[in-house]
Amino acid sequence: MICLFAFPPGLHAQPAGAPDTPAPAAPADAPETPAPAAPPAPAETPAPAAPADAPGAPPPGETITITDRLSAIVRGHEAAPDVGVQDIRVEAGKLSTEIPHKDATELLGWAPGFLLTNEGGEGHAEQIFLRGFDAREGQDIELRVNGDVVNQAGNLHGNGYADLHFIIPELVQSLRVVEGPYDPRQGNFAVAGGADYELGLTRRGLTGSYEQGSFGTRRALVLWGAPGSNSHNFGGVELYQTDGFGQNRDARRATALGQVEDRLGNDGLWRLTTGAYLTDYHSAGVVREDDYAAGRKGFYDTYDFGQGGSASRAFVLGDIEVQHADVTTHHQLSVTAQTLRLREDFTGFLLDQQTPFQQPHGQRGDLIDLESDVVTGQAQGWMRRRGVVAQLPQDLELGYFARVDHSSSQDYRIEDATGHPYHKDADLDALLGDIGLYAAVNARLTPWAALRGGVRSDLFTYDVIDHCAAHDVAHPSKVTPPGDASCLSQEDFGHYREPVQRVTTAGAVVLPRASLVLGPFAGVSPSISYGEGVRSIDPSYVSQDVKTPFARVASYEAGIAYKGSPGELDTTLRLATFRTHVDRDLIFSETVGRNVLAGGTTRLGGSLSGRVTGTWFDHNASVTVVRSTFDDTGRLIPYVPDVVVRSDSVVFGDLPWQLDGKPLRAISGLGVTFVGPRALPYGQRSDTILTIDGSISMTWDRYTLGLKASNLLDTRYRLGEYNYASDFRSQAEPTLTISRQFTAGAPRTLLLHVEVTL
Amino acid sequence: VTRSAHPAAGVAAVGIITLIAVIALGACGSTGGNVVTFDVAASGTEGARTLDTALGWHVALTRATLHLGAVYLNLSVPISGSQETNCILPGVYTAEQLSPLDVDVLSASLQRFAVKATGTDDEARTGEVWLTGGDVNASTDTTTIADLAGTATRDAQVLPFTARVTISSGNRGIAPSDPSQPSQHPICKQRIVSPIAIDLRPRDGGTLVIVVDPQQWFANVDFTAVPADGVFPDSNANIASQNLFSGLRAATATFQLSFQ
Repeated sequence: MICLFAFPPGLHAQPAGAPDTPAPAAPADAPETPAPAAPPAPAETPAPAAPADAPGAPPPGETITITDRLSAIVRGHEAAPDVGVQDIRVEAGKLSTEIPHKDATELLGWAPGFLLTNEGGEGHAEQIFLRGFDAREGQDIELRVNGDVVNQAGNLHGNGYADLHFIIPELVQSLRVVEGPYDPRQGNFAVAGGADYELGLTRRGLTGSYEQGSFGTRRALVLWGAPGSNSHNFGGVELYQTDGFGQNRDARRATALGQVEDRLGNDGLWRLTTGAYLTDYHSAGVVREDDYAAGRKGFYDTYDFGQGGSASRAFVLGDIEVQHADVTTHHQLSVTAQTLRLREDFTGFLLDQQTPFQQPHGQRGDLIDLESDVVTGQAQGWMRRRGVVAQLPQDLELGYFARVDHSSSQDYRIEDATGHPYHKDADLDALLGDIGLYAAVNARLTPWAALRGGVRSDLFTYDVIDHCAAHDVAHPSKVTPPGDASCLSQEDFGHYREPVQRVTTAGAVVLPRASLVLGPFAGVSPSISYGEGVRSIDPSYVSQDVKTPFARVASYEAGIAYKGSPGELDTTLRLATFRTHVDRDLIFSETVGRNVLAGGTTRLGGSLSGRVTGTWFDHNASVTVVRSTFDDTGRLIPYVPDVVVRSDSVVFGDLPWQLDGKPLRAISGLGVTFVGPRALPYGQRSDTILTIDGSISMTWDRYTLGLKASNLLDTRYRLGEYNYASDFRSQAEPTLTISRQFTAGAPRTLLLHVEVTL
Repeated sequence: VTRSAHPAAGVAAVGIITLIAVIALGACGSTGGNVVTFDVAASGTEGARTLDTALGWHVALTRATLHLGAVYLNLSVPISGSQETNCILPGVYTAEQLSPLDVDVLSASLQRFAVKATGTDDEARTGEVWLTGGDVNASTDTTTIADLAGTATRDAQVLPFTARVTISSGNRGIAPSDPSQPSQHPICKQRIVSPIAIDLRPRDGGTLVIVVDPQQWFANVDFTAVPADGVFPDSNANIASQNLFSGLRAATATFQLSFQ
């Protein structure tokens, strides 16, 4: 039988033997060849790419035909060429299964510089800090799954809100993180960078697992992948429930993910991914430090039991990729429907303003009840052409990205005494469009130098209907005063107006990006990069025909990477220094419960990361240091961490004993997170965070028994710390000046894990 | 294998040196400003026991206490407009003293609040004294804000008097002049003495001193309007009581704030 072998782009799209040559985004196993049931332990770590000039290596860019007795097709989706030292690709392997991860967002910690916090509860998207950026829940980081952008444009809680809880961590096969806007394929929200989760299931067969442990936490998981199919064919269902630690942290969620992939003719692949996700939860919010110190509140308490939320997501994603001799084309299309309800209270009883027209009232409560529903259609495609110029392989890629989002959002304030809404803060419907075009080259200047990059241009359109456009009137009608209504139908001197206001506008942006990648020289590959990124504006800030005020980022990076196998240890090291400037940054405002526009900011920092994989261990670690300042004052940006250290280690091996002639296999994992003191408003610093997660498991035949522990040392730590004014009526008179508040990190959580694979 | 091990060590060494340099760079810097904690004390003035009014009364006080519910320092001077009906203006407060104190106005010695004040070291432009015993928006508050006794003398008239002042909607509220604006005069506005002009910057370990000067309390009080029993009615319905209440709330004339 004739079999095709499409070489990874690292072989035909990279300079010779570049150390970070990416493997195919998801190498498809032989559909006709049964995959091993047991996970290939060290093999899950990508082997160093074979240098193109290695003896026996095929010529770059060539697709060769192999005739052998295996009757196997080995092909995967072509990955984009790496864009320098800040382009990190991690195969999940045991880092995913053996280090406790509550959800897929925590996998971002494999890349340097990430810190995740969550003040909103288990169903609320994690707040992401990356290299000096407070990317909130996705506003400054483009997050993708199988290339499909997850960020919600038009979400009222945060434009770009990205909830990754719908991803089952065990179904993440690999993760690509680009820290910075250096790849022309990155689009909206790629300010601090971007991440792309590749879904897959390496463990074939039918796997069922159940976890039970602290705080009434229960998790049931079923995964399946037909042994005769590749890792991209899978199904998975997760049911999760917890009472939560402390007060008001219960949560429930259910996720179903499925994917099929098969050949399309002789040189193509098609893939269909579907998923559905539901969650409902409560959250504790913040605790004032003075109340905790005085014993008025416990560390894990809450002020407002009304906090929480719910979310749902359903999506269909299909893609087709055809790899001809020197041309690869890719198309994908998705439709996603998402709902989000958030109830958050950061300030207690502070923001309820008395207007003369309202009936007299005191502070009725600041609980926000926000609902944002978004339906998104996305299409994207590209064609990559390979050729030879000056006897060197060259790549040219043209691609497009298109998405339309229809969002509907309302934001109410809830009266504490009754639970009824007393004021509508916002009521927006928005139709948002984004069509982008990019051209990317992978130009080899010499056998040891490649220039990668291109230019991207996006047109953003906004059609926003504000159903509550008039909140105030200077001289109301004396006959029909506005009273307590939120959305007024009168303007100055009582003249009638509809409470609705429609605004439309558009804006285009051109974003150049380039990386010069050298080497490798004895495994060392230096690189420098420049890129510009953009974050589209929140629809609530749009004005009619006014030039859309994008937030633009200009980012510079220089670094060196090493990849080799000294002492039979697969080793990757990366050192990067970076500088990033944002002209209009977003800074968190606790009064409106989301980020608001601020001035220009600059970040300067560096990171050192590495991964070492041996026959019995896998270790991934990073340290990132950054200084983030406002341009006008030179002062530090509050809340973002200066120092983030993360280490994930797994050791595994067969024990010297056997049962029924089958070996006992032990696996142990350890994850360590350290976050230095974060700058807080008014010259304050937060506490440091040091947490250790661990696990141990024993596998015999098809059965696994394990124990997972998060926050192993049971450290009582403050996951988030804030300085702002709040009044939770904990003292006799209103507390109106800034005060320290915190969100509590989870105490030690133990989960017993039982798993069977058939 | 041997050759490739050296570059890895080199990358690691350069990385560690670079990170140490960046850590040294990042370790400095601040978001600006400081959080401060300081004492707050209040007193009367020398000679507060006797005072002469513009209406010709000579007042000799034998008892004068004033209940201060809370004290706030503000970053800005309130402007007229919509803020007139807002008793709480989020974002303007730079320091707060939340514990109450009954000040003996006849004593010039400092009387300290039980709890320290907290805030930031921003420059404070105005102060607020809250004359309240609880919720500033409560319709009814039976807390005695002022407790006074003394004798008023004019020519041959000698009128002993007492006054007990509370602040509730029923006795101090102001009815809206425009029915379309029912919250034109919220009761909280009657309880908050503001703006008291100041120009000070709190610092850690200092003391905010509040001097209460009763000189203005009786400036417009005609004691002949006080009922024959000499007891000021606890209501603005009586003109003498209304003028006394206005005098108590005379912001800068009655309260002087300084930082020591």
